[in-house]
Amino acid sequence: MSIIKTENLVRHFAVGTQTVEALRGVSLDIDRGEFVAIMGPSGSGKSTLMNIIGCLDSPTSGTYHLNNKNVSTLDDDALALIRNHEIGFVFQNFHLLARNTALDNVMLPLKYAGIDKSEQEEIAMEVIKSVDLESRAHHQPSELSGGQQQRVAIARALVNKPSILFADEPTGNLDSKTGDDVMNLFTNLHKQGQTIIVITHEIEVANQAERIISIKDGKIFEDQKVLK
Amino acid sequence: MLVQESIGTAVDAIKANKLRSILTTLAIIIGTAAVIAMVAMGSSAQQALNDSITDLGARTIYVYPSSSRQGATNTSKVPLDIKDAIALSKDGEIPWQIAPEIRGSKQVKFKSENASLQIVGSTPDFFSIRGYELDSGKTFTENDSLARKRVVVLGSKVANELKTSSRALLNNEILINNISFKVIGTIKEEGAGWGPNPDEQIYTPLYTASDRIFGRETIGSINVNFPVEYSTEEVMIAIERILRREHDIGPGEINNFSIRDWGQALDLQRQATSIFFALIIGIASISLLVGGIGVMNIMLVSVTERTREIGLRKALGATQNTILLQFIIEAITLCLIGGFIGVILGTSIYFLIAFLQEWPIVFPLTAIIGSVTFSAMVGLFFGIWPARRAAKLDPAISLRYE
Ligand SMILES: Nc1ncnc2c1ncn2[C@@H]1O[C@H](COP(=O)(O)OP(=O)(O)OP(=O)(O)O)[C@@H](O)[C@H]1O
Ligand SMILES: [Mg+2]
Repeated sequence: MSIIKTENLVRHFAVGTQTVEALRGVSLDIDRGEFVAIMGPSGSGKSTLMNIIGCLDSPTSGTYHLNNKNVSTLDDDALALIRNHEIGFVFQNFHLLARNTALDNVMLPLKYAGIDKSEQEEIAMEVIKSVDLESRAHHQPSELSGGQQQRVAIARALVNKPSILFADEPTGNLDSKTGDDVMNLFTNLHKQGQTIIVITHEIEVANQAERIISIKDGKIFEDQKVLK
Repeated sequence: MLVQESIGTAVDAIKANKLRSILTTLAIIIGTAAVIAMVAMGSSAQQALNDSITDLGARTIYVYPSSSRQGATNTSKVPLDIKDAIALSKDGEIPWQIAPEIRGSKQVKFKSENASLQIVGSTPDFFSIRGYELDSGKTFTENDSLARKRVVVLGSKVANELKTSSRALLNNEILINNISFKVIGTIKEEGAGWGPNPDEQIYTPLYTASDRIFGRETIGSINVNFPVEYSTEEVMIAIERILRREHDIGPGEINNFSIRDWGQALDLQRQATSIFFALIIGIASISLLVGGIGVMNIMLVSVTERTREIGLRKALGATQNTILLQFIIEAITLCLIGGFIGVILGTSIYFLIAFLQEWPIVFPLTAIIGSVTFSAMVGLFFGIWPARRAAKLDPAISLRYE
């Protein structure tokens, strides 16, 4: 059963008097529990696609069904609710709040979800344990290594038990060793049934997924299973 | 719960930019401090005035000389005379107490110390009319006055002026105009109120003053103290009738003296002070508004600086209202911090001045509550626009923002 179903997604950006066509008709089907890598040259529209299927942005035209629900026409606050409940994001540059501890960062989505304060810490701590950062829970991002920061970001993405985990170049700022650690974490999550979509430039990273979608000039150019 | 979280975030953000935050709130600090200091000083002044009425009892009326402008020739001030006071005393219609005042500044000497002090000549009733209490010794009598005895009663700070103590002066001689006078009593500290400071004056019998010190029969004012059963108007009419007769004022001519009661004087004084304070508070409010604009400016900067943070919060599920609330709370917190510093500053300034001026201290609670509330409202008002900007940011674009 498909969790993500898009039809002919088009996204235009007005830049001055010109129009940039970032996506030019993307139709895509992703099933629950799949581990998908999206590849493509810089500027091909990967992040734009992720923003739309991650409900951070709306398409100029085309439709998008998430969990069989048409979300392409929802307003800002309705999308915020979906992002909070259904989607977890991991970014290349971590995007942690610098003045908050790891624990506070992980608790943030729970706060926006309106979870009881008494439960927030317990739930967040549980997820921090699952990424092996228990001993760093009360440290600020500046006191953590890049790999640790990215693990905090992953814990934050998972804390609301999202349907889909999105990662835009999660290993882009990491050395290959810590990058591997992060990918192992993803592989384990996938084994537990988590739907994961990873954007990457690196073929080694993409090869850890089950399926690779290649994008070029705002269109799907290739969509293939990874042979293991 | 989100409010609590937002306050925490706000305090963190302010801490991260301490200097900038303090500079931003400077106008708010100054505005709040000014409002509080001014309002408190106003209540102190009011309190001092009220104290002075209760000291005197509301039942004293004053008669002063005033110039009669009848005809072109007579424009000089027609003085009040001891005879006027006697005429009032002799009239039996109202059982009032009459205390004429003859006063002037004279050189006073004790041993080698010299000071220029106010000498007040009056009747023994003067002390009870004014509510002055004896501290040591005794006051003078009617007979002392008739005998022109050289005796004086001192205000509590006179000894200070002569660099000695009241105790050392009691029963000793001091020189006024090089004539020696015996100190027979001292009065308790009264505190400065409305008019000359009673603690820095020397009191002597009426005729002693007119014959031996001033060499004149003209007096500065007459205190008329009357029982509460009589109304102020009634008493004023009686005084007017007697003095018009004494001064030979014909029908249709206007009075060459003026009769005033404390109520009138106080009302005038109150009016003058309230206009002054309204002005200061107006200026302080402008300062608060300027502060508000400063806060708005810094909040706009903050929203721009934290675009990526806002984008991230939205990506994690913050709604527009959540972001709106966060930034409004931040603006209010900023203003409240300024408000609290202003409260501390303003109250300290006030306490210091009140202490130095020996004013009665009135804790400016209303002013504190008022100005803190006002500064929160400034934060709310000037925080809304930047907060709306933050709330409306597009999450996808904000996350890309460098
Ligand atoms: N908010 C925007 N305004 C204008 N143009 C945009 C915007 N977002 C993306 N674009 C343009 O759309 C195109 C696709 O951008 P996108 O960020 O999706 O590329 P990408 O595949 O993620 O590239 P990279 O690998 O470098 O991250 C680019 O030409 C980019 O300049
Ligand atoms: Mg990208």
